[in-house]
Amino acid sequence: MSDEEHHFESKADAGASKTYPQQAGTIRKNGYIVIKGRPCKVVEVSTSKTGKHGHAKCHFVGIDIFTAKKLEDIVPSSHNCDVPHVNRTDYQLIDISEDGFVSLLTENGNTKDDLRLPTDENLLSQIKDGFGEGKDLVVSVMSAMGEEQICALKDIGPK
Amino acid sequence: MQGPGSNGLAQLQATMHAVELACTSIQMHINPAAAEATLLSLRSTPQPYQACQFILENSQVPIARFQAAAAIRDAAIREWGFLIADDKRSLISFCLCFVMQHASSPEGYVLAKVSSVAAQLMKRGWLDFTAVEKEAFFNQVNQAILGIHGIDVQFIGVNFLESLVSEFSPSTSSAMGLPREFHEQCWRSLEIDFLKTFYTWARNAAISVTNRIIESNSEVPEVKVCNAALRLMLQILNWDFRYNSNSTKSSINVFSAVARHDTDSPRGSECTLVQPGPAWRDVLISSGHIGWLLSLYAALRQKFSCEGYWIDCPIAVSARKLILQFCSLTGTIFLSDNGKMHEHHLLQLLSGMIDWIDPPDTVSKSIECGKSESEMLDGCRALLAIANVTTPFVFDQLLKSIRPFGALTLLSTLMCEVIKALMMSNTEEETWSWVARDILLDTWTALLVPFDSSGGKSMLPPEGVNAAGNLFALIVESELKAVSSALTDDDDDDYLHTSISAMDERLSSYALIARGAIHVAIPLLTRLFSERFVRLDQGRGVIYPTEILEEVYSLLLIAGHVVADEGEGETPLVPYAIQTYFADNIEADKHPVIVLSSSIIRFAEKSLDAELRALVFSPRLMEAVVWFLARWSHTYLMHPEEIKEGNSAHDQDHQLRLLQTRKGLLNFFGEGIQGRLVLDIIVRISITTLMSYPGEKNLQALTCYRLLHALVQHKHICVHLFSLDSWRNLAHAFANEKSLLLLNTAHQRSLAQTLVHSASGLMNSDASNLCIRDLVGHMVTCLGELSGKDDFKIVAQQPDIILMVSCMLERLRGAASASEPRTQKAIYELGLSVMNPVLVLLEVYKHESAVVYLLLKFVVAWVNGQIAFLEAGETAVVVDFCMRLLQLYSSHNIGKISLSLSSSLLSEAKTEKYKDLRALLQLLSSLCSKDLIDFSSDSIETQGTDISQVVYFGLHIVTPLISLDLLKYPKLCHDFFSLLSHLLEVYPDTVAQLNSEAFAHILGTLDFGLHHQDTEVVDMCLRALKALASYHYNETGSGRTGLGLHASGIMDPGGNFQEGILSRFLHSLLQLLLFEDYSPDLVSSAADALLPLILCEQGLYQRLGKELLERQTNPTLKSRLANALESLTSTNQLSSTLDRINYQRFRKNLIWYRRF
Repeated sequence: MSDEEHHFESKADAGASKTYPQQAGTIRKNGYIVIKGRPCKVVEVSTSKTGKHGHAKCHFVGIDIFTAKKLEDIVPSSHNCDVPHVNRTDYQLIDISEDGFVSLLTENGNTKDDLRLPTDENLLSQIKDGFGEGKDLVVSVMSAMGEEQICALKDIGPK
Repeated sequence: MQGPGSNGLAQLQATMHAVELACTSIQMHINPAAAEATLLSLRSTPQPYQACQFILENSQVPIARFQAAAAIRDAAIREWGFLIADDKRSLISFCLCFVMQHASSPEGYVLAKVSSVAAQLMKRGWLDFTAVEKEAFFNQVNQAILGIHGIDVQFIGVNFLESLVSEFSPSTSSAMGLPREFHEQCWRSLEIDFLKTFYTWARNAAISVTNRIIESNSEVPEVKVCNAALRLMLQILNWDFRYNSNSTKSSINVFSAVARHDTDSPRGSECTLVQPGPAWRDVLISSGHIGWLLSLYAALRQKFSCEGYWIDCPIAVSARKLILQFCSLTGTIFLSDNGKMHEHHLLQLLSGMIDWIDPPDTVSKSIECGKSESEMLDGCRALLAIANVTTPFVFDQLLKSIRPFGALTLLSTLMCEVIKALMMSNTEEETWSWVARDILLDTWTALLVPFDSSGGKSMLPPEGVNAAGNLFALIVESELKAVSSALTDDDDDDYLHTSISAMDERLSSYALIARGAIHVAIPLLTRLFSERFVRLDQGRGVIYPTEILEEVYSLLLIAGHVVADEGEGETPLVPYAIQTYFADNIEADKHPVIVLSSSIIRFAEKSLDAELRALVFSPRLMEAVVWFLARWSHTYLMHPEEIKEGNSAHDQDHQLRLLQTRKGLLNFFGEGIQGRLVLDIIVRISITTLMSYPGEKNLQALTCYRLLHALVQHKHICVHLFSLDSWRNLAHAFANEKSLLLLNTAHQRSLAQTLVHSASGLMNSDASNLCIRDLVGHMVTCLGELSGKDDFKIVAQQPDIILMVSCMLERLRGAASASEPRTQKAIYELGLSVMNPVLVLLEVYKHESAVVYLLLKFVVAWVNGQIAFLEAGETAVVVDFCMRLLQLYSSHNIGKISLSLSSSLLSEAKTEKYKDLRALLQLLSSLCSKDLIDFSSDSIETQGTDISQVVYFGLHIVTPLISLDLLKYPKLCHDFFSLLSHLLEVYPDTVAQLNSEAFAHILGTLDFGLHHQDTEVVDMCLRALKALASYHYNETGSGRTGLGLHASGIMDPGGNFQEGILSRFLHSLLQLLLFEDYSPDLVSSAADALLPLILCEQGLYQRLGKELLERQTNPTLKSRLANALESLTSTNQLSSTLDRINYQRFRKNLIWYRRF
């Protein structure tokens, strides 16, 4: 990331490179991988051979980190795979607006207002309830390949 | 039971109709819930006997009768204690009479049920009934079995005994809600007093119908009786004989076979041995009983063409099974006449069943033509059973008297036929030849596995050696053929997965056979190898067919098994057969094993050539090469054994020659030039597999874990490693080569561990430490530079950086886990210099759980290896670091909730958390151990470090992170509670000083643990409680404060009085003991905890006891409870001190108390 780009708050188009190549054999469970153009978390890796005396290949099962869809891929283990650059940033939650957006406080004191709340009822209520109770909440925002989403929530209020 | 009046009759009929309706509607699936409720209520009604008997006698619906019988069983078992003796007897005789009267009824399952109810009730009352009463029942049964009342009743009688025996046999008995002792008493009593009688009855019944069966040409009803009798005899011989076999020590058979039947012998595991003891000799052996059985089966064989008989008809199957059971007969039943009687017995059996398997080619052909294979398989099983009870020599001799060849030859030809059949059939499914091969392989294993260290007794007689040699040659041929034919079906993944380890078992049986004829096997393998090597050489430059690669692959596996044993953590010896057989072959370089090994190593060396590697050495072949080298080098390479010469006991000529060959064999690859040369080749091959086979994880795993890891286990090999250029190259590449960063991170960890291990083999410790600094320097620099970068926070999330950091952390962990006393210093410095980077990484990667976990594991491994050696100052540094780490981790994770749409990602997140916490608990446990094991020169207190406080503080940080959900992971739960109870047991004084919040937290957890499912957890909590209470009691007894305010209770801010903790636990422990179901294993530890609690809180205990009594309304129970409570504290001279004796007395009291 160059300095100029760093001034823009929108992470969506910031990534100098959104993915990095990495040898398939080195990708482990719990790592990240791009499958069919989507950033995934690897939940299963297995290896097999192409033919009896052929080379090893890796079979990945990944879960899309944004949509939770399951994706699979097979890659020869000495070839390269794309690995997404997954970034996570913490912001303090300032407000939840009526139209489904959140207002977040950035590190340098500005606000970030372009992030939507999750549409899933369950996740939504977890955020709204905590905020409604007046807790001091920090949200972690995960961004990768031009998308971003709230991925975790933490109560930092005084005990 | 009196006849019902008219009113009663109507009611009985109503019940019967209700039950019949319920049964039919269940069958038709109409309103099943209501129907089930009806049947359940029948079973749970008190005293339903009259109704049930009425149904049994009158109902037209068989299922209703079945249900009625089941209801009788349930009710009688439940109410047994209340029934009067007459009722008990009449229930049983009702059942018996019922089955006898209805013996010809077509609904067999109702009869079977009623007869099993009778058997169960008989067992339930077994210890109450007098001998006369039992006699009466059995008389009735005996009459039936004698056949006076006809065939059907005879069958029923035998059948009843079958259910009775199965009820009394511990593995098949049904539950009765009674203690184990009851079942054991019944077991014992039946075995001693009745089993043999039953056997005689069954035999007589079978004999009485034999003639009818043999004479008739079609199926006759007598077959049913005979079959049942054979089944009963088989069942009785399956009995786990306990009481007869070892009762007379003097008569223990000295027949050598007996010695090998210890339960821990590996040979006994496959086959159950039948050892009824000398009391059975007359029935089983001397009565000519076996002759009758064999002739019965021979007669049946003649009839297989007749109507109603065939090779798998029930009576034939039962007869064969019984014959098999006789083959397994052994032990003191035979006279101690040097095995003569046993041999005669086996010979009789063998000549009876030899036709099943001999001549092998005819048998095999007729099976291929469609004959059922079961008789032949039973023949193989019989051979296995006989092999299990004899030595190879006796086994071979057995057949000599009836055939011109020995049994080993027969075994070998039979197996050859089976293998030929196997080669012919190319199907995937399990054919008869598969099954037969496995049984026969087991037979060879049973014969050849040495059962004592000398191994001498399982040497084969000369004829057997030839047989084994022929067989091995055919086996190898068939394996090679199987390989090439398997290739024609395109790759099926299953076969690939079952690679080396899955074939292990079969291969090790092959190896046993090969070692039986070692002088043939080794040259054969050498020849087969060299043929293929030549073919590979000639074909240079063309693409090789996979066939030949696969053949070499299989040969490598077979050769590996033949020449060397699996070490299983120990250094394996050269196999005994190899040591002894080549005794005459003193010239080392002509020793067949050396010739074979050298040719394989020369072949392996070719993989270093890049061009050949691409052509020949596929990853799969390389796996076999690495596997062979690992296994071979473990036994032969620089073997540590010192050859002792002139040992007085072994100075015979043969022994001397033997020693010399062994010496020649081992010295050839010893620490001389040849050995170092081979070591160098092995190391260079390892480098190649690690660097030139990118992404081949399996191969690299084998190299790291099996080959290299095994090499550095030997100190004397380590000494040579660093003198080799190749090893130094490996170390250099590890620090500098990018390609090694592409290895699986776990393999990098193992490599780091291996390298550090090997450094400790250097001659002086300074050199070792220096060497380690070189090895680990790059990790320290790399992490230091990364974490020191200004923009590290920004670039840290890039995948390449994450990969780099993960690799370094894994390598650090590997190095840390290889810490040894002499290299401890260097490893300590390693950790010290990455402390700050580690904390920076923890901060930066707080969201990257995979990195955090690696980091924690490194710290755990490092602290664990170091803590015992640290001086006071160093300890303070380490402790401080650990606390900062804990606090940082906690601040990141406390109150954090993961949000994700995917449930599997959420559960992954939970698992990651669990693993983190487990690592943290391990870290605390390691710290804890400092107080127990400490090699430092000064006491740590000089620096003011109090380990107990540190660990409490750590626990205080960690505990809030552990949620109830996480405690569902058994390992975490276990770790957590064992740490907690350890702390409370060892440092109760520190607990006393905790502030009330921290204290409350610990107690809350203890309280939770007391009600946990897992008895081990409860046990640990009870131990902790005991420690707390006895600490308080002892302290206050000597005038100190003990737990002080925590014990006496405090006013909380709201002005409510909070009970002291000891009274709270007295409450909950009594609650647990009195009203809840708990495992009997816990009684002792509960007693240990209860006693000090009661002593501390005498007043409360009295009050609680009184309350308990007042709440009890039933006067009898009330007085029993009062007595029990009274005797709990006042019997057995219990005093109010906390010494060992007193604890023991109290334990007894509590155990007694439980019975009230």
